[in-house]
Amino acid sequence: MRKLIGRSQRKYSAIAVIVFGISSFGFTGLDKHPDSKDSKVKVIKDEVKPMPVYGHWRNFTTKDGLPSDKAYCVRIDGDRVLAGTHDGLAVYENGKWKTYTTKDGLPHNGIVSIDVSELTGDVWIGTLGGLSRWSGGKFENFSQLNSGMPNDLVYCVICDGKDVWVATGGGAGHYDTYTKEWEIFTEKNAPMHEPWTYGVSAGDGKIYIAAWGGGVIEYTTKTKKFKDYTDPDGEMEIDLLPDDGPVHDITTGTTWGDGYLWVSSYFGLCSYDGAHWKGYFDHDSGLASNFINFVRAKGPVVFICSDKGLSTTNGKSWVTYKKNDNNSDGMAIVKNYGRIDDSTPNKTTKEIPMSPSISHNFIIGVDEDKDVLWVATSSGISRGELLK
Amino acid sequence: MKTRYFLLTVLILLILNPNSKLSAQEKQQNYGKAPDEIFPYDKFVKPYKYHFLVPLQFYGAGREKLAPKDLTEVRVGFLGPLSGSVMVPQGKQMLQGATLAMEEANKNGGYKGLPYKLMIHNDVGLWGAAANEVVKMDDEKVWAFVGSIDDIVSHVALRAALKLEIFMVCTGDPDPTFTETNIPWTLRVISDDRQGIYSLVHQIYLKDGHSRIAVIRTGARYGRVAFKIFSENATRVGHPPVIEERFTDGETDFKTQLERIMVTNPDAILVWGNAKESALILQQMRAIGLKQPVYGSDRMVNPEFLKIAGNLAEGVVTTCQYNPESDNSKYKAFKTNYMKRFNEEPDVFAAHAYDGMNLLISAINKVGLNRVLIRDILTDRKTFQGFQGVTGKIVLDQSWNEIRDIFMAKVENGKFAFMPAPPLDMKERATIKTGTY
Repeated sequence: MRKLIGRSQRKYSAIAVIVFGISSFGFTGLDKHPDSKDSKVKVIKDEVKPMPVYGHWRNFTTKDGLPSDKAYCVRIDGDRVLAGTHDGLAVYENGKWKTYTTKDGLPHNGIVSIDVSELTGDVWIGTLGGLSRWSGGKFENFSQLNSGMPNDLVYCVICDGKDVWVATGGGAGHYDTYTKEWEIFTEKNAPMHEPWTYGVSAGDGKIYIAAWGGGVIEYTTKTKKFKDYTDPDGEMEIDLLPDDGPVHDITTGTTWGDGYLWVSSYFGLCSYDGAHWKGYFDHDSGLASNFINFVRAKGPVVFICSDKGLSTTNGKSWVTYKKNDNNSDGMAIVKNYGRIDDSTPNKTTKEIPMSPSISHNFIIGVDEDKDVLWVATSSGISRGELLK
Repeated sequence: MKTRYFLLTVLILLILNPNSKLSAQEKQQNYGKAPDEIFPYDKFVKPYKYHFLVPLQFYGAGREKLAPKDLTEVRVGFLGPLSGSVMVPQGKQMLQGATLAMEEANKNGGYKGLPYKLMIHNDVGLWGAAANEVVKMDDEKVWAFVGSIDDIVSHVALRAALKLEIFMVCTGDPDPTFTETNIPWTLRVISDDRQGIYSLVHQIYLKDGHSRIAVIRTGARYGRVAFKIFSENATRVGHPPVIEERFTDGETDFKTQLERIMVTNPDAILVWGNAKESALILQQMRAIGLKQPVYGSDRMVNPEFLKIAGNLAEGVVTTCQYNPESDNSKYKAFKTNYMKRFNEEPDVFAAHAYDGMNLLISAINKVGLNRVLIRDILTDRKTFQGFQGVTGKIVLDQSWNEIRDIFMAKVENGKFAFMPAPPLDMKERATIKTGTY
């Protein structure tokens, strides 16, 4: 070797190696991973469970009894499944779909969001034309005109104990089911840049509002204090650094699970562990697409509804479900790393064929319970089971 | 030889470096026609991710849906301020422009013999009314819609348009963030404030040589977003504004703000607001002895501004998204027909609504009655790229924002004179003008 490379060449190579070392340190230094030793917050431990993979897909459309193929949301409620479609609420029970519409008392047929109160079992339904509480077989409807709700287009509804939260085009709303009073949060009384909101979630004693143009608004329920998180670069056309905060100020959803807040946008995904943000894009991770309609975390796993398939991750690895363009089959794409720069030694991508696959790649809603996954898509609803 | 070995080794190591994949994304061209000199952070670091470089596609279902066979009319929506807003005069002009385009289309046979029908919605009512109005349009089964002027209204409407998958042609809202939402269900036929502000920055600092600019602007979102862009770009050319003062739409006494501006002794003053407030500010500015050159937003290009400001308007410089004095035969015909039909001159909102509605009708005539296909053809950046409207040639960027060259406007002899805005060359430097006014 010494004969092949002369002394001076070895000297220059050595300088190059040092430059390389410094540059490598610089790259990794930029990305402080949440599970670094000095992290003061809960972290995903190394011995995380492998990512679940779902299969044995069964798809439902109008041919199977759905009121519309265009499904906005899905929620598992014990032995039944509630699905929101453009033309009504569909309830799957004992192997059959039953539809509820305005004729049954709903305020609008477009059902955009559904949640079930753990406290009372009441079903809260966000529609294109108001909010409804389905209780004891009756629909009790809330609108701008008959209540203090901020706007009739309810993009997201969640239950948090006795409280119900909605994200609407006219602000976030909080309904106390005990006092029957509404509070409205907009840019006038909360650190939002704009009045419109799109997503809301609860976790760890906090409410996380996806504020369109205002990043994430955190509301601590005990202290009633707000805090906002926005993209530090302050520019719409770029993301300066992937881990400096939310990847963009225009957020579409939030969800909290296992110590992590996950935030979706039409520009990528990010997570926050209470101290560090981490961004994920389609070019540096297993994320199917940066255009994300909705997110829902279940424990350490987050389900990401994108326009090019359903992605799932625990921050350490990914599984993405995609349907083929030309037939009903598809695949689960498994990546054994969280992001392209993480420390996984042998990064691999594996494709597991699925026949059939999910109903459509444009995913709008998702829910998981007891190893069963339900997916609302632009064309039909899919049910998958955990593959053992 | 030594250098060759050094470079070769570095190259090999960089290729092997697993972290090199996390390096910044390559930029193809600047978003919004921003010159390199003013692109955010460009002088210091390459951003990790550039947005709006590639048009987003819509991957949802719906292209297979067949048109209904029992239609008696083809419904197209209109969303604008028609009552309960200071923008009602502009909303009326916008409605008239859209109406004229639709009436002409119907004279030419409508859609395969079916008449087009305008489904008119007022966007000012209940809080967040725009969202509710778009839902109503979905219930009415409109195929697409034009709207609106106010930026909050437009944002709220666009989010609902995505959910309901109804294409929105924006004809009056110049808020840059509107198309920066990355929603593939809209396009804008009016140039945004980014283009106007780049031209103003160029004119004020580089061409006219000012360095100390005071800004007085509306506290509404229209002023907030514009000031952010102006301030950032003024700073990037080396001259952050010396003071920013705000007022509320409808305010008539600006003494407090102007006195604070006077203390800073600026070289020039930028006024950003609606026509009436801008004119009143100009009057009160001159009354207290502020003689500096005045620049302003495109909303000054309005008869109301000239009427209230009178002679004081002489020399005021602003921008305009089109040339209202154009000799273009298409524009002249539109102007004649508009005046004949509505007995008044068209304004910027009327002209762009006319273009937006014509674009929409052309799209429907080409692909038929399917919302997704209407979206597809309007956003393919081929079929309608270069569409010749009465306001000029429509040039859409990757986020479907109108980025054609705009016009500078200067008040001369009691009326606005229009000239093409010069190409943005931020390297150009004029002699800095300083002095006491």
